[in-house]
Amino acid sequence: MSRSPTRDRYAGNVVWATFVRSWTMNRRAYPWTYFTSTVLAGALTISLAYLAFHAVGGSAVNAEFAQRAGSADYVGYVAVGALAYAFMVRMLLWTAKALITEEREGTIAALAVAPAHRLPYLMGFSLFAVASTGLEVAALSGFALLLGVQLPVPSLLNLALVLLILTIAVFSLSLVVSAVMLYAGEAHITQNTVFLLLGLICGFTFPRSYLPDLLRWLAELVPITAALDVARPLLNGAIDAAELTPRLAVALGVSVIYLIAGFWLLPRAESRAIERSF
Amino acid sequence: MIRASMKVFAAEGLKQHRRMASNKTMVFSQLLWPLLELFTIYFTIRPVADSGEQRWPLAATPGGLLAFLATGALGFAFFFALVQSAWHFSFERQTGTLELLFLSPANRLVLVIANGVGALVQNLWLFLCFAGALVFVPGVLRLAHPAMFVVVFLALLIPAIAWGAFLNSMLIFSRDSAFLFTVFSDPMAFVSGARIPVAFLPGWIAAVGTVLPLTASLVVVRGALLQANTLADLGGSLIQLAVISAVLVALAALLLKLGERRAQRTGQLRLF
Repeated sequence: MSRSPTRDRYAGNVVWATFVRSWTMNRRAYPWTYFTSTVLAGALTISLAYLAFHAVGGSAVNAEFAQRAGSADYVGYVAVGALAYAFMVRMLLWTAKALITEEREGTIAALAVAPAHRLPYLMGFSLFAVASTGLEVAALSGFALLLGVQLPVPSLLNLALVLLILTIAVFSLSLVVSAVMLYAGEAHITQNTVFLLLGLICGFTFPRSYLPDLLRWLAELVPITAALDVARPLLNGAIDAAELTPRLAVALGVSVIYLIAGFWLLPRAESRAIERSF
Repeated sequence: MIRASMKVFAAEGLKQHRRMASNKTMVFSQLLWPLLELFTIYFTIRPVADSGEQRWPLAATPGGLLAFLATGALGFAFFFALVQSAWHFSFERQTGTLELLFLSPANRLVLVIANGVGALVQNLWLFLCFAGALVFVPGVLRLAHPAMFVVVFLALLIPAIAWGAFLNSMLIFSRDSAFLFTVFSDPMAFVSGARIPVAFLPGWIAAVGTVLPLTASLVVVRGALLQANTLADLGGSLIQLAVISAVLVALAALLLKLGERRAQRTGQLRLF
């Protein structure tokens, strides 16, 4: 299908307009609410690991961890996981909750008749999410550095790659979560269950090999798992293409499945939500 | 007075039953979320808990660490259920029914205590599940007397009710209940020793923890269930809990008086 330049420019407008709307609204109404809660939650995870390592473990971690994680830097491992987790939570919240928020605010019917397509609309939210979450993750990194945690210092290229891979994985997941929320007509239970489950199985704060097989297989069904496997070595500066490619392929493959499922489910979930609102 | 209070409890109970009972997933999630969180923290801390240094004997074995964290999760869930009830109380303001509540002759303090009734039913259920699980895991439960289960339950329940009344009364002043979630979720669990013992926390954080009722509740829960402490062993913590609970209820009563007077003066009960 060939697309006219006008149409592309128009989609860009929708992305930008959604971004500006979200940015303005949050800057005016909730300038600190989300920032505080994200940074606080991440900071507590890092602090817990820091205290556990120094006060409980006597600045040592057992050999099993080093073997499973591929590094004995326990606090660094948890800190990177906490940063990635914060990124995932905020990205998912913004993008997945966009449509159900429209329903709650009574604007979903207006959105349905507007000529804007869903993809640029949701991408606008993701753009906002990346921008605002970027600030939050930067603040969280600052906290970790203050605590004396050694964070990896990747090259800009690697950092950009990590951001891109994680963003694709989280974006594709949020489409499906968004559809589930619209179907269920609620967000609170869905979002918390998703966050807590992924926090356990995706390998954010501990190597996945600690988990029972069943949960490890379940984790493979989530795009973020493989994306994290690629992100960690990239952040540490390693670009061994032969080693990273299989996991990268899995991350992108699973993401594509979620994208397709999301775009198939969303219109159905949306029409259900509109039905409900009258 | 007592009859009037019972009426308030019955009415609140009915209201919360109608609001919550239709939502089975809500009840399910009260058990699922704490469990997911429990295992995440367990796997995160395990690599350092048995690093060879024996600084934390209670957590030296996997079962011991899990039991320590599970008691922490139970205590936290007890208190957090009340935080949630306070959050629901803020809906009264948003939907305009707070003003109606205050026009009724119901005693304000009874009202905010009764607001936690639904949370208490949840907590009883959670406690029974937890006690059941603990009895079936071999080698973890060390109990001086079966009646200590009752002591543990009361040491969680009474401070939690006082905590709920205190939080509810604060919401007279503001519609913004998001801060409750921010301040009294993870930070409360961290500071009160739900995840690692208070002894390992830096002094100033541990000092904040002593003010929170959850800290002393957890000392009682762990002492009684995991270390075979008797009533006499736990006397100090029980007195501490009684004092904190009394202070919280008194503060709640005071805040309600001040808040209502202020709301009458400024006409803010209905505003948000």
